Amino acid sequence: MMVKKKLARFLSFRYVLLALILLILAGGLVMLPKVEKQEGIHAEQLLNKAISTERYVSTDELSDKIISQDPSFILVDVRDPQSFNEYSLPNAVNIPLRNLLDEEYEAYINQTQYDVIFYSNDNFYADQAWVLGNRLGYQNLRVLKGGINEWYNSIINPTVPNEQLAAEDFELYSTRKAASMFFGVMYPEQNRVEEPVIEKPAARKVVPVKKKKKRPVEGGC
Amino acid sequence: MGPIIPNGLIPIEWDSIIAIFIGICFGFVLESSGFSSSRKLAGVFYGYDFAVLKVFFTAAVVSVIGIYYMDYLGYLDIRQLYVHPTFLWGAIIGGVIMGVGFVAGGFCPGTSLCAVAIGKLDAWVYVLGIMVGVLLFSEFFTFIEPIYDGYFLGNITLMDSFDWNPYWVIFIFSIIAVVAFALADVVRKRVKKVFY
Repeated sequence: MMVKKKLARFLSFRYVLLALILLILAGGLVMLPKVEKQEGIHAEQLLNKAISTERYVSTDELSDKIISQDPSFILVDVRDPQSFNEYSLPNAVNIPLRNLLDEEYEAYINQTQYDVIFYSNDNFYADQAWVLGNRLGYQNLRVLKGGINEWYNSIINPTVPNEQLAAEDFELYSTRKAASMFFGVMYPEQNRVEEPVIEKPAARKVVPVKKKKKRPVEGGC
Repeated sequence: MGPIIPNGLIPIEWDSIIAIFIGICFGFVLESSGFSSSRKLAGVFYGYDFAVLKVFFTAAVVSVIGIYYMDYLGYLDIRQLYVHPTFLWGAIIGGVIMGVGFVAGGFCPGTSLCAVAIGKLDAWVYVLGIMVGVLLFSEFFTFIEPIYDGYFLGNITLMDSFDWNPYWVIFIFSIIAVVAFALADVVRKRVKKVFY
């Protein structure tokens, strides 16, 4: 009986107790030490993206995309404007690395419609741009493997394979050569003018026309 | 880690099935706690029954406290949660219509369906009214569209728009809840009891 009475007295305060628990928990949220939350991507996700093969685009893939007029990507040159003006890839946007996070360029790199392909002279600065973008959670960022230098060495000026190499190398070479022609490189054999075959006018044949002998007038009606 | 479905811990294909399950549980709880009675719901406005106020206020406070603790401990990323977009005037006008309907009919849309399930006639009329409202809304949509699509403020929260500290907001909100419960009890004791 005593226990029941105590319990009943205790339970008569149950709403007060529940309200107190609520307030203590809510107050606890205010009291909690503030923790700086990591903004953007998680470390494991960043690592996964960094080691993924999706990260790089080879120069051959890129030239194929440009030639086939693939509309799904944006080229971003992260070098300084001077180098950009000297030489860059067709239809590229120049966003120097130190201006990468400027507001005016955000629309180019923070979107989900297009792949963004970064490049610099090598892939060094482009990789930095890639990491910066990914830390902010931007999507579909890629890097041109080897950058402009690799572009020059493989597409614009492809090395001629020597005879011992496999047939694929020759095929690759001819593809690259064709690509380089697309980007405006001229080859000597392209320039060679074939000697025109001049047809000599055939000697005139003399066809003797036999004159019909005049017949002597024979009688008549 | 969480939320569970956007992070792929549960495949997205399950979400309708989970929604149906939660919906059935919700309906069961509504019915078993007497919310399918329009008198109980209308009691909030007449001051003889504050169950609705208490239930929904408690639910909000408990879940917000739980979510922020889980966020703090890293079980849930609060930035990934869905925030319903705000269409300012659409929300105000819709809220007024909903409120008037709530007082006049004694149901909110969810409880009206519960009451239909147990065969209450007023609930049938109420749901019929909802259907007529839906029809009128669709027929006059071209006139309503500027309000429906306009005044768009984005997926904003109080913390974003006023730059408040969420923890203090929750604390003050809980105090308001407890005070409201106490006040509701005082009012309920003064008002004449209604049996239903």
